[in-house]
Amino acid sequence: MAEKVPVREGTFIEASNGGALLGNKCKSCSQIFFPKAQFCLSCFQEDVEEIILNRRGRLYSYVIAHMPSTHFEPPYAAGYVDLPEGVRVFAPLKMLEGRPFKVGMEMEVVIEKLWQEGDKEVIGYRFRPV
Amino acid sequence: MREVAVLGVGQSQFGKFPERSAAEMGREAVWAAIKDAGISPKDIQVACASRLYDAFVTAEDVLKEVGITSIEMVNVENACAGGATAVRAIWKDIESGRYDIGIAIGVESMTTSPVARKAIPPGKNDLEGHLGLTMPVAFALMARRQMEECGATVEDFARVSVKNHHHGCLNPVAQYQKEFTIEEVINSRMICEPITLLQCCPNTDGAAAAILCSMDIARKYTTNPVKIIGSALLSGDYRYRQKDLTFSPLCSKTAKMAYEMAGCGPEDVDVVELHDAFASEEVMRYEELGFCKRGEGVSLIRSGATEVGGRIPVNPSGGLLSLGHPLSASGVRVIAEITLHLRGQAGKRQTPNAKVGLAHMMGGWAAGLEGGPSCGIHILAR
Repeated sequence: MAEKVPVREGTFIEASNGGALLGNKCKSCSQIFFPKAQFCLSCFQEDVEEIILNRRGRLYSYVIAHMPSTHFEPPYAAGYVDLPEGVRVFAPLKMLEGRPFKVGMEMEVVIEKLWQEGDKEVIGYRFRPV
Repeated sequence: MREVAVLGVGQSQFGKFPERSAAEMGREAVWAAIKDAGISPKDIQVACASRLYDAFVTAEDVLKEVGITSIEMVNVENACAGGATAVRAIWKDIESGRYDIGIAIGVESMTTSPVARKAIPPGKNDLEGHLGLTMPVAFALMARRQMEECGATVEDFARVSVKNHHHGCLNPVAQYQKEFTIEEVINSRMICEPITLLQCCPNTDGAAAAILCSMDIARKYTTNPVKIIGSALLSGDYRYRQKDLTFSPLCSKTAKMAYEMAGCGPEDVDVVELHDAFASEEVMRYEELGFCKRGEGVSLIRSGATEVGGRIPVNPSGGLLSLGHPLSASGVRVIAEITLHLRGQAGKRQTPNAKVGLAHMMGGWAAGLEGGPSCGIHILAR
């Protein structure tokens, strides 16, 4: 059984409903951060609480890349998804047959393996068309 | 608080020269600047060099090639804005009265760097880099929004590339001196939709240097020195405060600071050199730098006004697209180009009666910050 490591600690939870991204929110000024901030970067208050972000959002922009990135071979898709909490997330996207990307399209988060690193599976998040 | 003049400028041939060391390319640029200034190497009192990849005591290494040792030397990095940062550092030293004459150097060997022939990634621990972000991905995401929001088309982006490659044909030191048509640009190899190969700047090796000095010294050498009338270097804000990817608040803010110091506005600028690492980006910069209203960048590129011979030539040198982009050199190279125009020495690409020029560079990437979190702008006048 391969060891699983998150792409970044504390950025997501896995659950039977498909999991979700984790952010945090300043109790003082309500600014929301993804990924989590150590303390509020807006008002500098230290009282921030973890929040589970909405699983769905709108595709703000997308790209099909034809050159490799650090971990992905081309062609691969990536984009920004706007979550209702006012958070804009950069993430790889899942290309689905017959579902070309369109700005404004509704997307849903998927927690899954992103790449293999030696004998470790790196787990992270992608978005796919709803 | 003193006025600062540009006494001498120089650059090396730009192109792919993996066999040339940074010290060698730096030497070519520095020696050209020293000759252009008409000074002796021993007149230089302070130096600041910028290099991003494989940097190691860059200023010391370059300047030993021209007999300059034993002075204060600083090495800086700010991605594509590194050269602008070096210029700013020397400007500050002279403006404050700490020194009277100094040299800013930018040098980069892209072909021997760890990112040669690659889509440039952000820093090695950057979360977005791990999730698939590279520089072409970042700019393609902006370009998609430009098409969605501002009515930009792939042809508009190709126009920038056609223009800047045409300008490159007028510049003997340009890496590429070849004309292209809009069709050729659009049909070149796909990099990240909608960005094709000819919409991207190449891997370039090269160096540039600028010698700055106090006005007292400048007047010993010339009756009409080129002056730096505005200087601004600023970092980007959090991306969570940037609602609109098609407009860089950082670039706009930096420009306002430079214009305020210069006591002029975009309408006073005769010639511009700006960061066109990707063709689509140039259209955004028109708006951020104030050369047209928000949303009218597309109209401006379509009008032809930003070509050599037009109302406001942008990147007459050929820009990063055609002259080339040795990352840390570009911020110094744009100072050199603007200086040539102001002196009437820009040959076939000369802007007639150029009195005021703007040199812009920006770059870098870090998840959570505005795209291109470092921006440096200088305004020069004569």
